[in-house]
Amino acid sequence: MADIQETIQDLGRQGSSIADEIQQTVRDKKPLTIRRIVTNEYLLHVLSMTAFLLVWHQAAVSGLFAGALATPWQVVERFQGLMTDTLAGLTIWGHIWASTQRIFIGFVLASALAIPLGLFMALNPYVDAIVKPVFDIFKPMPPIAWISISILWFGIGEPSKIFIIVIGTFVPCLLNSYNGMRLIEPELYDVVKVLGGGRWNEIIQVSFPASFPAIFAGLQISLSMAWTCVLAAELVASRSGLGFIIVQGMKISDTSLVIGGMIIIAIVAWLSSLLIAGLEKYLCPWKRDIAGL
Amino acid sequence: MQVAALKPDTKQVKIEVKNLTKRFGDLLVLNRINFHVAQGEFLAIVGPTGCGKTTFLNCLSKLIPTSEGNIFIDGEVADPKRHNISFVFQEPTCLPWRTVRQNVAYGMQIKGFPAAKINERVDFMLDLVGLTETQSLYPNQVSASMVQRITVARAFAVDPDLLLMDEPYGQLDVKLRYYLEDELVKLWQTLKSTVIFVTHNIEEAVYVAERILVLSNKPTNIKAEVNVDLPRPRSLIDPDFVAIRKHVTELIRWW
Repeated sequence: MADIQETIQDLGRQGSSIADEIQQTVRDKKPLTIRRIVTNEYLLHVLSMTAFLLVWHQAAVSGLFAGALATPWQVVERFQGLMTDTLAGLTIWGHIWASTQRIFIGFVLASALAIPLGLFMALNPYVDAIVKPVFDIFKPMPPIAWISISILWFGIGEPSKIFIIVIGTFVPCLLNSYNGMRLIEPELYDVVKVLGGGRWNEIIQVSFPASFPAIFAGLQISLSMAWTCVLAAELVASRSGLGFIIVQGMKISDTSLVIGGMIIIAIVAWLSSLLIAGLEKYLCPWKRDIAGL
Repeated sequence: MQVAALKPDTKQVKIEVKNLTKRFGDLLVLNRINFHVAQGEFLAIVGPTGCGKTTFLNCLSKLIPTSEGNIFIDGEVADPKRHNISFVFQEPTCLPWRTVRQNVAYGMQIKGFPAAKINERVDFMLDLVGLTETQSLYPNQVSASMVQRITVARAFAVDPDLLLMDEPYGQLDVKLRYYLEDELVKLWQTLKSTVIFVTHNIEEAVYVAERILVLSNKPTNIKAEVNVDLPRPRSLIDPDFVAIRKHVTELIRWW
């Protein structure tokens, strides 16, 4: 036992001298020069945003696009008003909620169906052989193409919109969980096999965690797909939601309403993708970076 | 330096490979290979490129079935479910979603060791390979050499009947390789595992092993067996070391 202790200590000594490098970086302190200020990332962000708004404003004021362009400020004012006033019985918050709710229901339904199915297909060749040909027929079909049939089936209420979202998000969800599991390094399974582990060990210890990142990539694609779908559905037939705001603006030639609706969609879609990213960070902690590196 | 008798009679035979043959269709890759490994022996296997070293290891680890012949551990046909076989692959095979500590524990978990024993053993192994301070990091947060040390620690941790290593340090630079070879020898001396170490690096084989099997070209057979009876720590410029290295090199060069 004594010589084992010695060996450990010996190894420990060597360990700290070589091959044990945990990388550490120190923020370099360079002197503040004009060049550094001008090339500062955040300053450049502000500059480009300001330039964009100025060009937009100028284009609106000068009557470009046949006057069908509101200035940035008009858009802000219009939506400030909508926070308290109503449009078709709902404030702007109500419309945001209407769209978000549809997205949420459709998205959850689709991922609850598509992710397990994709994983099953990747794990079992028979399931794959049965599902794949049918799936391949529907895969290239744009989800928007389903709008007419869904209205005929489900009417113009909520179910038809949710149906479109499910159709649109199903494909990327399934494809990603399917491919994520199929592209796992075979050596990771060999490790389990050599150690005498069974199929169940392979699935639980390797397949599931290894396919997590791909599943989340699929969820991100699905989410942007879901926003496209809900807008299309709301543009066609709806009394609420952000798509409805845009159509309403078009009907009454209120460009500030149209543009504002577009901007709000961008913001809400961005926030929802942040939510997914946050969930991924929580569930896949191994993808985090070393703090400060 | 001498060519050893086929069966080392001073120690107890742990691994017995009898008539190991592997064909892929008409292609005969492994041709009736026979050898023994003693309990606690460190055996290196070297051979020319493309001689079927990887196929050989895959047969030994039972990852692929043999065409004829078999491998016996303690007189029984080797079976990963019954015997304790460990494998250090050439590619890093850490699980990215497990921390360094969880990766070292992984093998023992698959083997169904009790939790308390796993904990104790992981502490011991982490200490032995100097990964204690980095145990809560993920593999993508440590260096390439540390990643390979994790898999080596994981392989030793299950206290294997047979530990197979497939050029584990092939992708590292010389300095790190020397260091990790020293570490490997110390791990083996401390834990007394039976090791089969496959490499194409002759110097590495002479440095770590007690005995070297030299493989022939395809169809592969054992061409020669070289005992490395040098004191440790070994010196790369010791005349005896150089002589053995040259001898093995000649054996590989002139098939």
